[in-house]
Amino acid sequence: MSDDKPRPARTRARRGSKMRRRLSGLLALGVALVAVGGLYTVFTPDPEQALAADPAIIREGQQIYDNSCITCHGTNLQGVPGRGPSLIGSGEAAVYYQVSTGRMPLAAQGANAERKPPRFDEAQIDALGAFIQANGGGPTMPVVANGEELRGEDTGRGGELYRLNCASCHNFTGRGGALSQGKFAPNLDPASEEQIYAAMLHGPQNMPVFADSQLSPEEKRDIISWIKAVGGANPSKNPGGAELGGFGPVPEGALAFFVGLAALIGISLWIGSRQ
Amino acid sequence: MSTRPADHGANAPSQPDPTEATPPIPSDEELARMSTEDLVRLGNRLDDIEVVSDRERFPVPGTRAEKRAERQVALWFIWAALAGLAFISAFIAWPWEYRGPEDPGGFLWSLYTPVIGLTFGFAVFALGMGVIAYTKKLLPEDLTIQQRHDGRSQEIDRATAAARLVDTGRRSGIGRRKMIFHSIGAASGVLGAGVLVAAFGGLVINPWKQGKNSELLVTGWHSEDGERVYLRRDTGEAEEVVLVRPGDLEPGAMETVYPFKESQRSHPEELKEVLHSADSPVMLIRLRPNVAVIKRAGQEDFNYGTLFAYTKICSHMGCPTSLYEDQTNRILCPCHQSQFQANEYAKPVFGPAARPLAQLPIAVDDQGYLYARSDFIEPVGPAFWERNS
Repeated sequence: MSDDKPRPARTRARRGSKMRRRLSGLLALGVALVAVGGLYTVFTPDPEQALAADPAIIREGQQIYDNSCITCHGTNLQGVPGRGPSLIGSGEAAVYYQVSTGRMPLAAQGANAERKPPRFDEAQIDALGAFIQANGGGPTMPVVANGEELRGEDTGRGGELYRLNCASCHNFTGRGGALSQGKFAPNLDPASEEQIYAAMLHGPQNMPVFADSQLSPEEKRDIISWIKAVGGANPSKNPGGAELGGFGPVPEGALAFFVGLAALIGISLWIGSRQ
Repeated sequence: MSTRPADHGANAPSQPDPTEATPPIPSDEELARMSTEDLVRLGNRLDDIEVVSDRERFPVPGTRAEKRAERQVALWFIWAALAGLAFISAFIAWPWEYRGPEDPGGFLWSLYTPVIGLTFGFAVFALGMGVIAYTKKLLPEDLTIQQRHDGRSQEIDRATAAARLVDTGRRSGIGRRKMIFHSIGAASGVLGAGVLVAAFGGLVINPWKQGKNSELLVTGWHSEDGERVYLRRDTGEAEEVVLVRPGDLEPGAMETVYPFKESQRSHPEELKEVLHSADSPVMLIRLRPNVAVIKRAGQEDFNYGTLFAYTKICSHMGCPTSLYEDQTNRILCPCHQSQFQANEYAKPVFGPAARPLAQLPIAVDDQGYLYARSDFIEPVGPAFWERNS
């Protein structure tokens, strides 16, 4: 899509004409933008498509890619053996999930990429996503104003689907759990609605892919609604009181056994000592 | 409470041993003349009870202290009554129908159980406290000691009691009347056997009654009349039938599917039941295109392209093995950490499982929907004696 535009990598080689080239590039870009924008408003009113095809944004994304991702994912997104996988087909959703959760850029090779503060801001992530989308294709993010819009109506059905598709790894209230050889399914509390949606779309790391043809967008939204309803991030959401980690009967039983039994023994001793 | 030594007779002559110094038994006229106090005293002596001290808490009735104690006791009972009333009102009027934590009224709803529990609990607690307060504050402070007699009953009591039983049996003539004796035996024997049958009869089942179609050998994917069994996904609505097409799964996807026959479409209970049946869940896995595949001998054509269908039931203990890692292509069982290699006929690569997961042969019909060409060719789940593979 951006093949006919001058690339910054080439202009950098000749320093003398850099300014002029950049100016003419910008001018050409402006003309192209107007033309492309006009055509798109005529043919496709979908704002996401226009965004993905915006060459300036794609170029910004490529800058970021060349600086931070190219070492492991290769010059043409093809991946580097032993370092990082191919990004062909990963799409904008994968970029959004991996970069906004801070998992990418990776701190160190290991069993699991762990969540950490993100390196890039929203605009940079969008640009990087547009670049990957334009060159590799793949699932795209839904266009929403905020995460609340990704919560479905039918929380109960979301729970059903969650237990069927997600609970085996992420635990029935989203606490996460262990996988093989040091890998693990993460706790879902810190994940935003968009991040959960993106993860389902592209299947990060060892998570399977749940394409829209398998779990429809409504079903995904219902699942998100359930995750947010049972999530432990907000303790006031637990009408039962202390959730004890949300792991179910084991900690609850242990607490009842040790604390309850100790209390009963204490009361017995107290009664006995009163005589 | 202090106990006294067993040989108290010498120290307390007022407490006679019942066998040697039984108090004189009063005649009927004497009994009629005795006052309540006399009768209590007589009863105590007959039962070997000694009243050590017996002090009224308020010897002068109607004092201010007594009135205060009375009010304190009554207050507990009043509390109990009020809490009981609160419990009844909350039970009837408090919003009890589920509201989500974010819905209006959700907080009020979340208090329903605590409120009825606390009010009812406090009512019972206050009632108990009232009774305790009454005994502590108003009942006389008394200390009584009843002697406990060691050892078995007197020889004379034992002999006479046994003789009475033997005599009753002999005089009933049951030993002589053989017919009644035997019919009683028959009646009680049959009744006892009936109880045993009722308790254990349901457990006696022949698992192989249906021969090749016995329950341990076939699953929900079995079709007796040759009707085609399709792969169906669970959308969270049991009555909604959604069949699976090969393109629905992206590479690296895993989906749990269930059997569906066209004849079930008009039977909502059956549609629901199949989603909960223990042996039917199947993991439909689409491997990524660059994954090397090794197929099991005899199962070379069970897959459809990169789509492989394995039972979800672990071959070790029958847990659902649905933790699929799509980069390593491993299927994990959460119960005992068995791992199966999905691209190598789901053979076990780690953990206690010894057999691969059974593979379901799948194909696509002319409408583009996936169906099972037959049931599993081996039983799913844990081993049993009669299993031949």
